[in-house]
Amino acid sequence: MRIKLTSIMVEDQDKALEFYTKVLGFQKKHDFPVGEYKWLTVVSHDRDDLELALEPNANPAAKTFQQAMFTQGIPLAAFEVSDIAGEFARLRAGGVAFTREPTRMGPVTIAVFSDTCGNLIQLYQPG
Amino acid sequence: MLLKRDVFARLCRARDILGELEDPAPSVEAVALRVDISPSHFIRQFEALFGITPHRFRTRVRLDRAKDLLATGRHSVTDVCMEVGFSSLGSFSTLFTRRVGATPSAYRRRVHPFVQVPGQLERAWVPGCFGLMGTLPASAFRSFREA
Repeated sequence: MRIKLTSIMVEDQDKALEFYTKVLGFQKKHDFPVGEYKWLTVVSHDRDDLELALEPNANPAAKTFQQAMFTQGIPLAAFEVSDIAGEFARLRAGGVAFTREPTRMGPVTIAVFSDTCGNLIQLYQPG
Repeated sequence: MLLKRDVFARLCRARDILGELEDPAPSVEAVALRVDISPSHFIRQFEALFGITPHRFRTRVRLDRAKDLLATGRHSVTDVCMEVGFSSLGSFSTLFTRRVGATPSAYRRRVHPFVQVPGQLERAWVPGCFGLMGTLPASAFRSFREA
């Protein structure tokens, strides 16, 4: 058993692909039509075997959960970075809304931003 | 943009107000003032946080609500139009068709068979992403390097 795939719910898959590739810098890996939605995954530029599925939040239960977590300020995914100050500056200059600037928290430095698709995302830099 | 905690909370409150579908609907400016944010900053901050303008967000909520009501099959298209805050059936049908890809009546015909209990949607028609894996081609399980 191994972890190769996880997912995050998004409001609009096309907009999510735009944000996750053009703003965050991930690469699209799969994009297959499935009914009115898509099987849509992205990967990091240096690890194409670990996929993140951008899953439609069409189920009202998903929307309710997502919205409640957002309001409480709780991120639904975390991405590791090696230069959190640099990423913070780059994304902020690109119009990304942060709810927490890089902040030291024990063994990591974290920052939190909105992915514009209904989720808060945490960046973390170990060490 | 870095949103302070209180501004973030106010923007979430504004999203909730816009989602309540009050009748009559408050203007976007009135919503901004209700959460104590300057209208000139409000639209820009809202869009940066939620990826959509306040006006379009409210429209999206209305159409989502309309989809739910149509799916239960208990309301006429006109009733649904009024219920979600549109005053013109024509503009509702046009907007619904453009965003959803089917007319309100066609959408109801397509989705209604999935409703098992009156007023209660059988959610199986809403895809769970991982449940769709069996429909994917084999190439979906290969990495770039293997391809």
